[in-house]
Amino acid sequence: MKDSDSKNAPISTDRRRVLMGLGAAGAAVAGASLTGNAFAATAPAQVTEAPKSEKTQDHNAFHGLHQNGIVNPRPAAGMMVSFDVLAQDREDLERMFRTLNERITFLMTGGAVPQVDPKLPPLDSGILGPVVTPDNLTITVSVGDSLFDDRFGLESVKPKRLQRMVGFPNDALEADCCHGDLSIQFCSNAPDSNIHALRDIVKNLPDLLLVRWKQEGTVPAQAPLKPGQAPESARNFLGFRDGSANPDSNNQKTMNELVWVQPGSDEPAWAANGSYQAVRIIRNFVERWDRTPLQEQEAIFGRVKTTGAPMDGKTEADVPNYHNDPAGKITKLDSHIRLANPRTAETQRNLILRRPFNYSNGVNKNGQLDMGLLFICYQADLEKGFITVQTRLNGEPLEEYLKPIGGGYFFTLPGVVDSNDFIGRSLLAASAHTTKTA
Amino acid sequence: MKKSPLALLLTFGVLQTSMSAFAATAPLDLVTPVSDYKIYVTENVDTLAADTQKFTDAIKKGDLATAKKLFPTTRLSYESIEPIAELFSDLDASIDSREDDHENGVKAEDFTGFHRLEYALFSQNTTKDQGVFADKLLADVKELQSRIAGITFPPEKVVGGAAALMEEVAATKLSGEEDRYSHTDLYDFQGNVDGSKKIVDLFKPQLEQSDKAFVAKVEKNFATVDKILAKYKTKDGGYETYDKVKEQDRKALAGPVNTLAEDLSQMRGKLGLN
Repeated sequence: MKDSDSKNAPISTDRRRVLMGLGAAGAAVAGASLTGNAFAATAPAQVTEAPKSEKTQDHNAFHGLHQNGIVNPRPAAGMMVSFDVLAQDREDLERMFRTLNERITFLMTGGAVPQVDPKLPPLDSGILGPVVTPDNLTITVSVGDSLFDDRFGLESVKPKRLQRMVGFPNDALEADCCHGDLSIQFCSNAPDSNIHALRDIVKNLPDLLLVRWKQEGTVPAQAPLKPGQAPESARNFLGFRDGSANPDSNNQKTMNELVWVQPGSDEPAWAANGSYQAVRIIRNFVERWDRTPLQEQEAIFGRVKTTGAPMDGKTEADVPNYHNDPAGKITKLDSHIRLANPRTAETQRNLILRRPFNYSNGVNKNGQLDMGLLFICYQADLEKGFITVQTRLNGEPLEEYLKPIGGGYFFTLPGVVDSNDFIGRSLLAASAHTTKTA
Repeated sequence: MKKSPLALLLTFGVLQTSMSAFAATAPLDLVTPVSDYKIYVTENVDTLAADTQKFTDAIKKGDLATAKKLFPTTRLSYESIEPIAELFSDLDASIDSREDDHENGVKAEDFTGFHRLEYALFSQNTTKDQGVFADKLLADVKELQSRIAGITFPPEKVVGGAAALMEEVAATKLSGEEDRYSHTDLYDFQGNVDGSKKIVDLFKPQLEQSDKAFVAKVEKNFATVDKILAKYKTKDGGYETYDKVKEQDRKALAGPVNTLAEDLSQMRGKLGLN
């Protein structure tokens, strides 16, 4: 590639200038609808030319009370990776958190990769080039129930509601896709940016972390909103808008009530400003779904497929009025949205912040597409949140089209407040005195 | 037709000067370890040939029990010299390919060698009709023996072999997919680790000149692997089957194995080799 690039570079520039001129002329002839910036867009690119993004320098501040990747809008690409922690003692565990902190700081900020003697393997995979672009990357670190076993003396400081995920009646959990000591959620504008970050972490912590399972997903992009148009949620692989009734992630008070563990709660003090993360890999039987009548699909969800509006509403943002429909004549009593969120005063405490991605993996043995939803949600109370909601959903008609096969429960660590702090520091500090052997 | 090791090094361009941070190790410093390594490989391939003779004899006699017993120990010396054996990709494919290297799996006509016989002995529990595979394996091993005698060892392949062996462990031994019918993976595991450690040992004086801490870290990780493997040694000097290896030990092996693969990938550079 290098050779041909350098040989062709000046020629292709000339050729492009010529073609651009032609393009503009063509546009002028074609007339009307093309606007000023069509000039650049009409320059014909080579087949191998990279797609353009103006967002590769977007970045999120790593330091803050809470970790990133929770209340931020989902970017187009997400990846959830679960790890086994290989650390042998607390010293190793601290080294793991400090190294993670160092890598995350670099990856979320971006910058030039130090060059080493070319006789050595390079320090970086190089897939983003010699200067790493942050590309809106967030890296969110959470810990699983198994990290609190007898290895590190963390038993006594385990978040009260953290537990090993237990299969629900419709689950068919595959052991290779479940649980883990630690989860890392990567989100950015492009799958390559997430993969770059994962490979950096794998390369830098070979003695401390071992990948247990990984699931990537996407959020489909939409055309920019027209003036006055209400925001719309992205669609899942069943073709329905997902996240319509999510709590307002810009409302700090709501987030404090529903998502962030509060100081002074019944959770260990170190856990304040953390959150519970529930992850579910939910396979969708899409062929069968696509062979289901539209009105049945809509009855199963409780929403209109095209608009995302509730059955008694006009727009996605409309709130269904179940009070006027006690028998479920408009919105079925066992429809997905009615079971998940019955919209009563008592069930307000069960609201969760969903942050899902669509996934597509390949083909199952039966020739059916292996795809579905990488469901991720955050809540201040795992039991009142995901576990209660999912329990209400047990037996819903939608189950016929779903099979959850993996995932796990994790506790998302509090944010890293400044450069003296590091991810996991409060957890280690809280358990320091309980450790028998140093 | 023995070439002098120095001539060999000259041939492979070790004397080229370099602008890089790591000065190339003086070529004379590499002569001894490379020729010592050739002795090590020669001894191992001789053992492999002798062991393969006994192993294939047992198969041809229809002695299933003996053939099963000899399978893992026969492979051990092949696994320890893989960086050199793999220089002959045709032989490596016919001696050591696995079922999943072939689109048609066990039914593939070119699926031969150790794992084809392993499939018959352990999965089908028979030596029936295996004479043709036994003969082919023995012929291939003898061919390997003669080819190894005839080549000069490229120093960068020798030094790079330390990391390559750990990559083997990381890729196919930790998962237990190498010996999927016999579950005798720990023998291969030990063979790979021994072969890797041998190379590090041979170049230790040169490595220590540039980075003592590197050698100490590598040796510590080898010791950790050996310690865990030792837990699964049986009274007869063999190993338990891989399904007996506890989940926590598999994980405990993954850390030092992956770290060795990562660290040893720097060994060529540290010795100034390309």
